[in-house]
Amino acid sequence: MTLSHRLLKLTAVPLLALVVAGFLSTSSAQAKGLDVDLSKPDVRLDVSFKGSELLLFGARDSQSDIIVVVRGPNKDTPVRLKERIAGIWVSGNEVVFEGVPSYYAVASSRQIDELLSPEILSQEKIGLGQLGLRVKSAPATMAPAQLDNFKAGLVRNLVAENLYTGEPGKIDLVGKQLFRTDLWFPANVHVGTYVVDTYMVTNGNITTRNSTQLSVHKVGIEAEIFSFARENALLYGLLAILIAGVAGWIANAVFRKRG
Amino acid sequence: MQIYLPIAEVSVNIFLILGMGGGVGFLSGLFGVGGGFLMTPLLIFIGIPPAVAVATEANQIVASSISGVLAHWKRGNVDIRMGVMLLIGGVIGSTLGVWLFTFLKTLGQIDLVIKLSYVVFLGVIGSLMFIESLNALRRSKRAIPPKRRQHNFLHALPFKMRFRRSKLYVSAILPVAIGVVVGVLSAIMGVGGGFVMVPAMIYLLGMPTAVVVGTSLFQIIFVTANVTVLQAVNNFAVDVVLAVLLLFGAVIGAQFGARAGAKLNGEQLRILLAVMVIGVCVKIALDLTLTPDELYTIGAGGGE
Repeated sequence: MTLSHRLLKLTAVPLLALVVAGFLSTSSAQAKGLDVDLSKPDVRLDVSFKGSELLLFGARDSQSDIIVVVRGPNKDTPVRLKERIAGIWVSGNEVVFEGVPSYYAVASSRQIDELLSPEILSQEKIGLGQLGLRVKSAPATMAPAQLDNFKAGLVRNLVAENLYTGEPGKIDLVGKQLFRTDLWFPANVHVGTYVVDTYMVTNGNITTRNSTQLSVHKVGIEAEIFSFARENALLYGLLAILIAGVAGWIANAVFRKRG
Repeated sequence: MQIYLPIAEVSVNIFLILGMGGGVGFLSGLFGVGGGFLMTPLLIFIGIPPAVAVATEANQIVASSISGVLAHWKRGNVDIRMGVMLLIGGVIGSTLGVWLFTFLKTLGQIDLVIKLSYVVFLGVIGSLMFIESLNALRRSKRAIPPKRRQHNFLHALPFKMRFRRSKLYVSAILPVAIGVVVGVLSAIMGVGGGFVMVPAMIYLLGMPTAVVVGTSLFQIIFVTANVTVLQAVNNFAVDVVLAVLLLFGAVIGAQFGARAGAKLNGEQLRILLAVMVIGVCVKIALDLTLTPDELYTIGAGGGE
């Protein structure tokens, strides 16, 4: 047996153990029962879409608290710092962050830092300060403190666009077992598969977790125009001109008759 | 009533868009300009992504230019030969411009270039127009005949062509060059470029004013059509729903504008237009120089 095989085996064993442990914990968790559901199975962007509210509800252990995190599809996101050159504000240095969630919402039944330790929050990426943003590319000379400013700037921008929740949402505990919270998806949400993670927390530990997927997609004429514009870009452009041409011609004909 | 735009991916108020189309259409009917230089900044102001605003406005200008050119055609005010020369330049320029647009977008400087182009061109044209119409007003009071056109180096250029409608015998290089400049502007600024082309045709080429507007509209149709297709293919930025809403409003507005314009004095109109052009210029210049609230911006791209 070669060294590399040995190493592989050595690392494989604990990995396997972890997977099994994970599997057991989720199956036992389901036995304990953290049931979560959404009032709608998806978010549909149609002609009249101006944002959508979804109700998330579920049942928990009576002593537990609940944290819900919703993440939109990841994207590599460039952030630029404006600088003043000759009196004009110009886009300067650029830092690209890897896999930034395009949407991020947190809701909890109590303040999250009262519920979980910073280590666990960071590990699970719960909270705007714990997104675990990784730098994909940055100017070589940039100091870590500057990178942190870029991170903060990125989050501020997304909060301003209502894509990230600035203030964590509130989860209402109803009776002994039920909980509910409203999730808001603004009109500028990105399409894709969203992940809704629900954590049941007891005595500073996550005891159970539930992960649900939520599809955000364009429907009807919106979906058709969008995909047509992408897939048949040339034809779409020509059709746009044809529509404009006909509209211009009609306008002239109407104008001539009246004038 | 809100409507979700499929390409711009924002929700806008239908009546706001119709009103903007109507308002800018009114002004374009009043002054005989395309109005793209007003509409594109307005669209960006209400939250349409700049790339979509520029590309969609190009599409809308196709419609307004066609409706305008048909009216001039009937009166014989389109110099096709001149138009084709301008057009050759325009196609080269707009293709170059869309390529430049895509390139600048990846650099993250597209917004800056759009705004700077606006400041420079609107500033220069607005001031020239203002001074020119003030002088014209004074002239008309004193009744001094305008100076005759002088021969300069422009008339020494080769490839001379005869343009019968324009009563000109000039080098073909001139209209082609004007076309290139206007084409680049059209792609980057989302304008027809009439506000650059019309003065250039009058002052550089010495074309009679009567054929200038019809001929420039003729060229603008094809250049903005070229921009529309190229933007659709390269940047997926043409929003048909937005374009239709805009042109519906603009068509109606332009009719009222043209009627109102017939009742007003031409020189006063030009001063008014000059003031408006300078106003837009100052507004954009302030955006560029005042310290923004947020210094960090999220770039486009990111695997959309």
